[in-house]
Amino acid sequence: MDYGIDVKEQEAVVQLKGRLTFNDHAKLRALIREMLQNKAKRQVLDLSALEFVDSAGIGMLLIAREEMANVDKQLVLRAATGQVKRVLTVAQLNKIVAIED
Amino acid sequence: MAFDWRDQPTLTAAPEPAAAPASAPASAQRVEVDVSLLATWLGFADMQRRTLEAIQGELTRTSDHVEESTLDLSHRFRDLAEKALEQSSRVEQIVAMAGSVDIDGERLPLDQLVNGMQDMIAEMIANIVQLSMRAMSMVYLLDDVQKDVGELEKSIGDIDAINRQTNFLALNATIEASRAGEAGRTFAVVAQEVRHLSRTTSELADRMRTKVGAVVTGVRNGHDILREIANTDMSPQMLAKERVDKTMESLVEQTAHFQSVLETAAGASNEMSGTIGRMVTGMQFQDLTKQRLEAVGDSLTVMSAGLEELEDRTRGSLPAGSDIPVPQAWLDHLLDRFRLSDMRQRFVRKLLMEGSALDLHGALDVDAGQDDSSGGDIELF
Repeated sequence: MDYGIDVKEQEAVVQLKGRLTFNDHAKLRALIREMLQNKAKRQVLDLSALEFVDSAGIGMLLIAREEMANVDKQLVLRAATGQVKRVLTVAQLNKIVAIED
Repeated sequence: MAFDWRDQPTLTAAPEPAAAPASAPASAQRVEVDVSLLATWLGFADMQRRTLEAIQGELTRTSDHVEESTLDLSHRFRDLAEKALEQSSRVEQIVAMAGSVDIDGERLPLDQLVNGMQDMIAEMIANIVQLSMRAMSMVYLLDDVQKDVGELEKSIGDIDAINRQTNFLALNATIEASRAGEAGRTFAVVAQEVRHLSRTTSELADRMRTKVGAVVTGVRNGHDILREIANTDMSPQMLAKERVDKTMESLVEQTAHFQSVLETAAGASNEMSGTIGRMVTGMQFQDLTKQRLEAVGDSLTVMSAGLEELEDRTRGSLPAGSDIPVPQAWLDHLLDRFRLSDMRQRFVRKLLMEGSALDLHGALDVDAGQDDSSGGDIELF
């Protein structure tokens, strides 16, 4: 998985690419740290280029949400497609995290 | 075929002696009639009467036949109606059962069951998600612990270095103390104590190294196991819910379809039984037919009796020994009409065998007997 962050005034948009699996746990931790450090209140994960997510990936997304909530920031998952969208739907993640099309 | 009974050869013995000439003034109620004409009429009347009796017999026979067949048909139709009702009640039972499932002796509606199972699966997936999150938190925690433990190992190494230096310093102090002689004796005791302390510290550091080593090994093993757990992808199991949902929906839909088809079938069976009931009612036409045929028969009896009376009176008016002719052509014409062999036979019996024409028409009777073997029913068609 690769990512790139675009921090604007209101929101930081993180573009995730490729496959988000357990192997990316160190990389995701680094990303969470970056998201904690920038000033934007809304931290948007753009999932349009993410092809696959495993259950550990879902767990890490929830950790990110928790970390953001601890510092009063909002995590938003945006534009999921394919397998990622199906897993988010089946896991009913919309009950826990804000999800946008 | 046209016939004319007037063409019959006159079999009368002698013409009646002429009464009054035609030109004579007719007395109020009397006309001159040829004796042969009266005899011919008498022969014809006899045959007519017997024909009427035969027709009456046929009417009764037909009425009985219709009654018997109608009763039989009504009976069968009633059976059919009962069976159709039974059928619809069986189908209704199936309809009632189709929408529910028996679980531990309790009947649960299928849609309720499906909803319950879907909730169960959703809960299971929520648990998987929570477990994944906790597992990842633990992984991050153990990552940190492992880092801390590494630093601890390094600190123990630092203690060793310090200890070695302390030991070295104490040794130097001991040497310097012995060189100072008596004046350094107290210092030599202190140096000795420092060396002793250094040794104790070294032993402690050894024990700590052993223990920390055990902790490091434990943490690393735990970390590996946890990574393995967290690395087990459960997303295919989560996505299995999609398939289960679709299967359940299809099952409910299919059951609903079955139910509606069966309900239609039960309705059709009910309708069928109603229609058959109306058919049975409709067959009461037979009663009316019977009454009509009886009325026709009664009128034929009256006609017959009238005819017989007239015959008697006519016979009384004829001179004794007058020959009564058989209306042969009329008889042939009448019998030609009957295509049903058994009916023809009955008419032949009634008209000929009871009369005087048996010898003349014996062949007819024989023919009728032979025809009988082919069966009257077949001739009908």
